[in-house]
Amino acid sequence: MGGQACVLYGAAEFSRDTDFAILGSQANLSRLRAALAELQAEVIAVPPFELKYLQKGHAIHFRCHASEAAGMRVDVMTRMRGVDAFAKLWPRRSTLIAEDGTSYELMSLPDLVKAKKTQRDKDWPMIRRLVEADYFKHRERPKQNQLRLWFLELRTPELLIELATGHPEPCRKLIKQRSLLKLAAAGEAIDLIGALSEEERLEREADREYWVPLKAELEQLRRARLHDG
Amino acid sequence: MISAEQLVGEELAEWYALTPQERWQESAKLWEVYLSLGGSLDPEPDTQSPFFDPSAPSSRPVDGRTGLRVIRRGGI
Repeated sequence: MGGQACVLYGAAEFSRDTDFAILGSQANLSRLRAALAELQAEVIAVPPFELKYLQKGHAIHFRCHASEAAGMRVDVMTRMRGVDAFAKLWPRRSTLIAEDGTSYELMSLPDLVKAKKTQRDKDWPMIRRLVEADYFKHRERPKQNQLRLWFLELRTPELLIELATGHPEPCRKLIKQRSLLKLAAAGEAIDLIGALSEEERLEREADREYWVPLKAELEQLRRARLHDG
Repeated sequence: MISAEQLVGEELAEWYALTPQERWQESAKLWEVYLSLGGSLDPEPDTQSPFFDPSAPSSRPVDGRTGLRVIRRGGI
């Protein structure tokens, strides 16, 4: 769901770690523990690897020590702000088969875009690229769900204006969900840039607020860890 | 229609045009180069991340050396 998914969807060329969205159940955690044991993965930060922390929205951070994956970082999450529960994500996933037959189960592009709406600078150019790559690949013959994704998630003013010009009816219908489409339809590029910036600011602020209690809990766990030695 | 090259430049436009499988292969090549240069497997420190912990231990580079070494000093 993280950087590796961004590589496969075309937004990034390289990622140093691997992030997994998983089903948060005890049975699934047992399976995950077995897989992580094979990788000789250790938890390297708070919180500890417990279901209750995953269910609250924390990530669990691992480092692998098995020789074929030595030093590799793995992060696991089960709940993300603004993203549906795993039970809804899984049927929407994309499955890719590599040349060696390995299959990769990726969070769907619309879900990945939602997951990337964080407080961090680096996620926003990633969202832009994720949607741009999809747009350029499919704009000649778009499906309804692709048009919807682009209208709701494109962050490139030039492309939003092009999209709104080429597909005025779906644009009109989606203005209620994304008011800046009105500016795209009118070709008002300068105002559109400002509106996109404001949209980003609000999302980042919402993410910061979402993390306030979680960060406080992480800080408490760090202090307890230091205290316990 | 705006072309990808016009908007993002040739290099990124080429990357956009690859299939996911091709991107995976190219990314794997970058991995090899990165690791051969002693690149760290830890994510770059990101103070904006809610997970950022300045006290967290970091791994050593895979070749056991520092990722960046001074090989010549110019009197600085």
